[in-house]
Amino acid sequence: MALDRLLNVARKEFSDHITSRRFVIILGLLLVISTISIYDGIENYNNSLEAYTEQLRQMEEFDDPYRNWMPQKPSIMYVFISMMSYMTMLGGILAIAIGFDLVSKEKETRSLKSLLSHPVYRDEIINGKALGGIGALGFAMALALAIAIAMLLLFSVVPTAEEFAAILVFGAVSLGFLLAYFAVALTMSTVAKESGNALIYTLVIFFAVSSLLPMFGAMAANAFAGDPPEPPEMGPMPKGVVRTSSSGGYSTTTVAQSVVYGGTEDPEWKAYEEEMKTYIEKRRLISDISNLLSPQMNYYTVAIAVTNPQLSSMIASPYDTAPEEKPGLAGALGRVWMNIAALIVFPSAFFAATYVKFMRMDIR
Amino acid sequence: MIRTESLTKVYNGNPAVDGLDLEVGEGEIFGFLGPNGAGKSTTILMLTGMIEPTGGRCFVDGIEVAKDPLNVKKIIGYLPEDVGFYGNMTGEQNLDYFARFYGMDAKTRKERIAELLELVHLDGVAQKAGEYSRGMKQRLGLAQALINDPKVLFLDEPTANLDPEGVREYRELVTHLAGEGKTIFVSSHILSEVREVCRTVGLLAKGRLVAQGTLEEVARALAPSDGDAVRIVIETREHLPAIDDPAIISVEGNANRAVVRAKADIRDRLSAALFEQGVHVREMRLEEPEIEDVFMAAYRR
Repeated sequence: MALDRLLNVARKEFSDHITSRRFVIILGLLLVISTISIYDGIENYNNSLEAYTEQLRQMEEFDDPYRNWMPQKPSIMYVFISMMSYMTMLGGILAIAIGFDLVSKEKETRSLKSLLSHPVYRDEIINGKALGGIGALGFAMALALAIAIAMLLLFSVVPTAEEFAAILVFGAVSLGFLLAYFAVALTMSTVAKESGNALIYTLVIFFAVSSLLPMFGAMAANAFAGDPPEPPEMGPMPKGVVRTSSSGGYSTTTVAQSVVYGGTEDPEWKAYEEEMKTYIEKRRLISDISNLLSPQMNYYTVAIAVTNPQLSSMIASPYDTAPEEKPGLAGALGRVWMNIAALIVFPSAFFAATYVKFMRMDIR
Repeated sequence: MIRTESLTKVYNGNPAVDGLDLEVGEGEIFGFLGPNGAGKSTTILMLTGMIEPTGGRCFVDGIEVAKDPLNVKKIIGYLPEDVGFYGNMTGEQNLDYFARFYGMDAKTRKERIAELLELVHLDGVAQKAGEYSRGMKQRLGLAQALINDPKVLFLDEPTANLDPEGVREYRELVTHLAGEGKTIFVSSHILSEVREVCRTVGLLAKGRLVAQGTLEEVARALAPSDGDAVRIVIETREHLPAIDDPAIISVEGNANRAVVRAKADIRDRLSAALFEQGVHVREMRLEEPEIEDVFMAAYRR
């Protein structure tokens, strides 16, 4: 494979994408919504910052009974949380839009035959097409992030080095998510004879992995984990601790119960607690395994780890007490390594399938 | 320049090309004839390195195509049947995209493209290729096939979408290119088209080469066999007298015209005999079947 031929294909594909009406319209919509939500996010951030400053002022002013408790400074990464929800919808559509007819259109217009009659290998063509698409999606993502950062600076919100790194990681994770659907669309474009069919197949997979799969995961978890353990018949009312967290379309509720009887924990309730914990872990494991196949769920999990590491930490370990220290970006990413790996493996598997199919394609 | 050895391509158990042995010399204009579905396009796809043969080998300028398709593509040009282009790009942009694969610098590309667009009368056309008529696409196809100034040119049904003026220009162009020493391989099912430009032909039927040579040689080879007999057509001014010759097998005809079946070409003896009897001969010739009829019969076999 020669780099100059690969780049020739990639350059042409990239140019085709960024000048196509389809791409420009969807990207425009994405940027407008992005700008509006970033604006809202900045307002929320400023309000949280004001509340934080007020809390600090009050703590200094009064002899606060919770002196050991320090309010948490809001992170500018909260601004990006709202980006997740429309990235999964509009971003997904953008990725599908640029990929679904990449090969099928060439078959329909017979330009593939003309192209292949010149000195270029098939792998250079398909890799060039993939590279051009990745470049166009990277360009869209970079534009969205550049606008977001420009707006932050416009409103005098200056990210720290760590926050800047988190923004870049968020961008990379979002791009990984877009690539997942781009890869699906490219595969379907290679498999299908017509672009219309390629689009339908891609949308079917899109909805299957984004909606059906998590649903089946939950059903499988219920089916395989069995019935939840029964609480002990006698005993004092349990003191329930319910923690609910929600963010940008992703919500989780965890329930922990503990019973104190006569200064020591009731052994029956303790045993029940352990059983319940095991039961919930089992359900989570089944559900998590099925969610690994869903780019949406992986994206949410990783993006939350980047934008809100504390929430991510709570989701990952619902029985642990909240950590004193705010978890770092590296730590948060380390906890979701499987989801990161899944975000890499998913598009890679589809790209590999595309490659094999394209190399063997009948071009009569 | 072009050679195939037992070239075979099988699709789903059915041979599209079946043990093809073909040879085309340098500078020849070779017509590859055959009905639709005979395997002409499949053969061209193998010769241009776009598909791999199931069996056998093929060579272009001594290079085995399946082993080194890229180097073959560097010295050939190919105009596919129903040629397609990128509809969002102009003809010039399409050619520029293809030209880049040959490592041409910007200046060379620009000059070559301008020259070719002028050659196919598409210079000054600002339309996108998606808006081209079929004839315009065909002409652009010819330009893209010539972008690398190839040694060998493969043309698959080149006049299919051209109007009469386009056909005339195409014939002139092919003759001009052959004059430059290029080998031209024209695939078509239209005999009249091949007859017009090609010096040698090969007839393909059901994936097999039925005959190869000049048109006359092929027609003779394909003509229905009449043993060793020849048919002599005679037309005279006066009534034909009875003709007596030991070589004559049969005579069919009327007063002034007859077709004589003989064991050998006895035209000299016949004319002498008729002259002695004072009969004026208007016509005397060996009867050969019409080329069109011969090919049509071969197509139907």
